[in-house]
Amino acid sequence: MRRYLLGRLWQSLVTLLLATIVVFLGVRALPGDPALALAGEDRDPESLRAIREQYGLDDSLLVQFWQFVSHAARGDLGVSIRTGESVTSMLGGALPVTLELSFLAIVVASLLGVGAGVVAAVRRGRPAEWAANALALLGLSVPNFWLGLMAILYLSVALGLFPASGFVPFFTNPVDNLHHLVLPSLILGTGLAAVIMRQTRSSMLDALSADYIRTAEAKGLPPRAVIGRHALRNSLIVVVTIVGLQLGALISGAVVTERIFALPGFGKMTVDAVFQRDYPVIQAVVLVTATAYIVINLLVDLLYSVIDPRIRVRGEA
Amino acid sequence: MPRRTPSSLNRSSTTPRHRQARWGVSVAAFAVLAIVGTACSPVESSSDEAGGDQTTSTQDVFGEPADAAQVKAGGTLTVALSADPDKLDPTLSRSLYSRYVFHTMCEKLYDLGPDAKIVPQLATALPTISADGLSLTIPLREGVKFADGGTLDSTAVKVSINRGLTLAGSGRKSELGPITSIETPDPKTVVIKLSKPFAPLTAALADRAGMVLSPAAVDKLGANFSTAPVCVGPFKFASRVAQNSIKVVKDPLYYDAAKVHLDAIEYRIITDSSIRSANLRSGDAQVADSLSTQDAPELQKDSNMTVLQSQSLGYQGLTINIGNANGIGTPTKQLDTPIAKDPRVRQALEASIDREALVKSLFNGLNSVACSPISPKSEFTSDAAQVCPAHDPAKAKELLTQAGVTTPYKVEMITSNNPDSLRLAQALQAMVKEGGFELVIKPVEYASLLDQQDRGDFELLQLGWSGRVDPDANIFNFVGSEGSQNVAGYNSPDVDKLLTDARQSTDQAQRIQLYGQVVTKLQQDDPLIYMYRQRNLTGVSKTVLGVQTYPDGVIRTAFAGLAK
Repeated sequence: MRRYLLGRLWQSLVTLLLATIVVFLGVRALPGDPALALAGEDRDPESLRAIREQYGLDDSLLVQFWQFVSHAARGDLGVSIRTGESVTSMLGGALPVTLELSFLAIVVASLLGVGAGVVAAVRRGRPAEWAANALALLGLSVPNFWLGLMAILYLSVALGLFPASGFVPFFTNPVDNLHHLVLPSLILGTGLAAVIMRQTRSSMLDALSADYIRTAEAKGLPPRAVIGRHALRNSLIVVVTIVGLQLGALISGAVVTERIFALPGFGKMTVDAVFQRDYPVIQAVVLVTATAYIVINLLVDLLYSVIDPRIRVRGEA
Repeated sequence: MPRRTPSSLNRSSTTPRHRQARWGVSVAAFAVLAIVGTACSPVESSSDEAGGDQTTSTQDVFGEPADAAQVKAGGTLTVALSADPDKLDPTLSRSLYSRYVFHTMCEKLYDLGPDAKIVPQLATALPTISADGLSLTIPLREGVKFADGGTLDSTAVKVSINRGLTLAGSGRKSELGPITSIETPDPKTVVIKLSKPFAPLTAALADRAGMVLSPAAVDKLGANFSTAPVCVGPFKFASRVAQNSIKVVKDPLYYDAAKVHLDAIEYRIITDSSIRSANLRSGDAQVADSLSTQDAPELQKDSNMTVLQSQSLGYQGLTINIGNANGIGTPTKQLDTPIAKDPRVRQALEASIDREALVKSLFNGLNSVACSPISPKSEFTSDAAQVCPAHDPAKAKELLTQAGVTTPYKVEMITSNNPDSLRLAQALQAMVKEGGFELVIKPVEYASLLDQQDRGDFELLQLGWSGRVDPDANIFNFVGSEGSQNVAGYNSPDVDKLLTDARQSTDQAQRIQLYGQVVTKLQQDDPLIYMYRQRNLTGVSKTVLGVQTYPDGVIRTAFAGLAK
């Protein structure tokens, strides 16, 4: 087991290092540099030189890479070239926002998706199914950006139900925080809701035609219990897997949603950093994301080995 | 975002394409209603807007100072900003948006009035300039405190200006010109010594170069001053969430604190112009900058809104690569293309652009035609500076024939890849065809555009300049052979001499005349074809009074207040 663990750890470290190198070189392959993006309209060669010197952009790639890696290993991700703020504190502020938004979007998507999926399966061939299908199609095909804009126009401007922008941290004022996040999580959740709805519908249809459902009905159970306790429960396994797989898409959808609603999240920070060629921020963002993916994968693999001893044995062989 | 600006356009509401889009929006809006399942009332009927464009006002509206009797004390004002300011350090800052924030917390030696004239702010009078132009004496306001409790005196001014001259990466160094020393004969007098006369200095001191930083904070934070900036102002820095928001709160130590009504101002970064307008209308923001020329007419009709507008001191134009062969900062080298070699080809390109039509059809008539770097609103304007070569496609073709160029003559133009810039590029493409040009559009992302521009990797380039009060700052760097942004690689000893003379003259009448001559020469050589001047459009909710904009484009919110 220890050998297996060490092997997996070693692999993870190599992957992380490779990801770091790819990003480090990738951002530097983009035309333009932070000095140019920072100086913008007011640039003269002397200030450009000074900025490049200040941030070590004129050092060799090897030196720059060593600086980045050695600092990152000590937990120092540098300062943003654009704003002069510590990247670690920027990440610390942005991550919770995106995590909360994604969590709420999953809640919204699950409620809408599972509900509509069950209705579509139970009322197969009736108007309710058509309506659910139409909604799913819209949810999948309408871009978040447009949907967000319409939601602001109708629900914020015309009806004044929700704020159109801004963010209040949860621990400052939980009610205000949720009020600000209703629209963003609805918008972000729609795409996922559509996927969940399609999945719930098809697994429900499979389940409803299974023998145990017939048995349950024959026992005289009321329809609600048959659908809720037997069919839906068995269908949800697939749905949960889908939600897991869609997490990546959710995070990338958060980029757009955060921009529309001016939320200080991770996605918005990443995109802005790329446009401004803010190397330390881009590198840190990718490093954190890659680390998260690798750690999660590592944990899953370790869990597999706990659950299924054959994997562990093969690892040791 | 940096200040060198890609064009910003509007959509004409009368084109068939737009009608189609409206139909699409209506269908889509219906779909949304179906989704939300709520009986929403429509936001606003758009079918009656077409006629509105003709009535759109293009008068400057700067806004009025707040009447103390009509505003209540306290409250937070939210300003929707179109871009995130960069470092909140007056020495290092380079973006226009940082100036919006600075004006509330970092006052300057001089300020700009609504008429673009320079007025004292932390100084008590305009500088006394010695006869030889080599010495400026500035009297300072007394009893002024920094937000950290320190006292503003001549030493603080000296520290701030010196920092602008010496700090690595300073954006102020070139603005401050040939300063040799700063003397402080007493706490309320500063004397600036120059090695040669430099007329633009007073204007520079009415911008970030003239902001006075707390020496204690500079000592403590050094190059990290932007993390907790301390100056003199009606408000002081409170917090910043990078790329999202900046908050300033009322400073009780401010010398004129009685005039400050608000408790706090929050700047919220909302990059999309339609979403900014929507935030204004929903009441989530009370001020929104850089409205699109499409949204402005609608807001002008809204009885709950005011649209402040002023003509920019800058321009949008086309730069032609004449001699930028090896990148900026290297000696110019004449390129071997007809458009680089022969001024007649460039004149032909200018003659084939119909500026009037461009302004009317693409910008609802809100922007204005520009044929020179000097705005008609500038104190330095003259008849010579406002001469405009006529739109004449026949003449364009004739000039091309004279230059021995076969038509259609193909030229490649790089432009920013945002939708507005692309629409401008397409309009130009259609226009210049008539004059014998085939314009190939190469859209590139903004940071890449700057890179290509500096490397000289372009034939034709569409970009603008946000503008400064002194004409030197709008001309010298761009067409002077030693100019730091002479990306055209233009090299004219005549223009250089005129610009240097104008720079060193302290006689305004003489400067006006010299700049007129510069414009005449530029229109013959055409290294840069000026096309139009943007309008600074700011939306303000009527729930707030006292928001003002001036010709420098900075939105003044410091003395605003919420209406009673």
